[in-house]
Amino acid sequence: MATPIRISVEHVTKRFASGAVTVFEALDLAVRDGETLCIVGPSGCGKTTLLRCMHGLATIDDGRIVIDGTEVRAPSRKVAMVFQHFGLMPWKRVRENVAYGLELAGLPKATVQERVAHYIEMVGLRGFESSYPNQLSGGMQQRAGLARALAVEPDILLMDEPFGSLDALTREILQDELLRIYQLAPRTMVFITHSIEEAIAMGDRILVLSARPARVRELFQVDIPRPRTVESVIAHPRFIPLRDHCWRLLRERAA
Amino acid sequence: MTFHRVGVEVDESRAVGVRTSRWRRLRPGDWVVRLGAIAVVLGVWELFGPTLNKLILRPPSDIFRAFFELIANGELQDAMGQSFRELFGGLAVALAVGLVLGVASGRWRFVYNAIDPLVSALYSVPSVALVPLIAVAFRSVGDAPRIATVALFAVFPILINTQQGVRNVDRQLLEVARSFNTSERRLWTDVILPSAMPYVLAGVRLAIGRGLIGMIVAEFFIGLVGLGYLIISYENVFRIDRMFVPVIVVATMGILMMGFVQWLEGRIAPWLKREQ
Repeated sequence: MATPIRISVEHVTKRFASGAVTVFEALDLAVRDGETLCIVGPSGCGKTTLLRCMHGLATIDDGRIVIDGTEVRAPSRKVAMVFQHFGLMPWKRVRENVAYGLELAGLPKATVQERVAHYIEMVGLRGFESSYPNQLSGGMQQRAGLARALAVEPDILLMDEPFGSLDALTREILQDELLRIYQLAPRTMVFITHSIEEAIAMGDRILVLSARPARVRELFQVDIPRPRTVESVIAHPRFIPLRDHCWRLLRERAA
Repeated sequence: MTFHRVGVEVDESRAVGVRTSRWRRLRPGDWVVRLGAIAVVLGVWELFGPTLNKLILRPPSDIFRAFFELIANGELQDAMGQSFRELFGGLAVALAVGLVLGVASGRWRFVYNAIDPLVSALYSVPSVALVPLIAVAFRSVGDAPRIATVALFAVFPILINTQQGVRNVDRQLLEVARSFNTSERRLWTDVILPSAMPYVLAGVRLAIGRGLIGMIVAEFFIGLVGLGYLIISYENVFRIDRMFVPVIVVATMGILMMGFVQWLEGRIAPWLKREQ
């Protein structure tokens, strides 16, 4: 109850194609300080669009989104995003890609170097600083994408299906990495995924959206304690009931 | 060519010659094939050319001899100095104009709409047809009309490729840049220009070929100087062996300059050849 709200989505409406398609309408939700809120929903329901709106990358048609008391209009340096498509610049080496946000923030060179080294180490990319993205596997590219977002030390991390394009094994390894990194320094995170298992493993709460126009089907707590690993989550007795519950919500037609 | 394309659409078919990575690096075996093919052509020419037409198909050994004759009497060096001044002058103008207009029209719809019909029209017209016009416009004074001709021949591939390179910039990367609060200046240096680079360099490669043609055409039509003059004057007196010398010099220039651009690409766009 006492946990402060970091992101507050208030009655937000988003339309596409000059008003013809309503992505979501009068949507309300709140992200609490330090929690990981996972958002799941049928594909095409506007999860990614919602995240882009939270970051100020997309405009909204009605309502407002407030982060720490300030209405979101454009991307803020307090927020960093990890993209499903990794979004690495092919012409920058890993080191330069990770340094990207820090350079744009105008930090002194020494600080940039120090932080880049720190976060490259954290995501397990040491030895690959001078590689170009196309020399790396998908999993390693996303490690770099993660390091780039973490390096700016944002208050809030927005994760747009970050592991969605990776193979199952790599995905699980990176989920564990992210759980470990989160445990080192918990920070507020909004995590979009289409995988129920991933949502349960990563999330403190799960928000289930309905098909378009997206509405909040249900918002519930993941009562599995941290520290977690993917394995410990799957082995937890609450895992199967939570998964079945999620499945039921997603299978039901919105109406 | 259509004149009514909308500014935001991307039409990749107009940007030509962007290479795929499989062909980027030559392997040692490739060189054997390349040199072998040249040797076969020269061999066939040497052996059978004169039997077909003694006057016109002079064997490579004669051309080789003529090459040293033209060096000995200084004609070749003079002509090369003249021609390369025009070529490099014209390519420099084409590069400057092509890059500026290409970037501007790739970025701003107004510029695109303003120049696209003109560019499409001029690119469709055989550039040769415009050479007499250039001669008149520049009153055939000095090297200026020939430099202008080279520039006219070379500018369009650079302009069009640069434009397409700027317009084809990955939208996802633009969003990443916005997400990290980029400035407009950093957007250009981090995202737009590097992503346009392969297109620009492919345009430059095409421009070199067209520029060499423009150089010879200009020397045929305007003033009779340089390598073009050598070709015409020795052709007129049926010294086909000597006529071939400037032709081969031009061909060699083409090979060397394209090779240079490819080398340059490896230096300024190293990420392109590092694929696994």
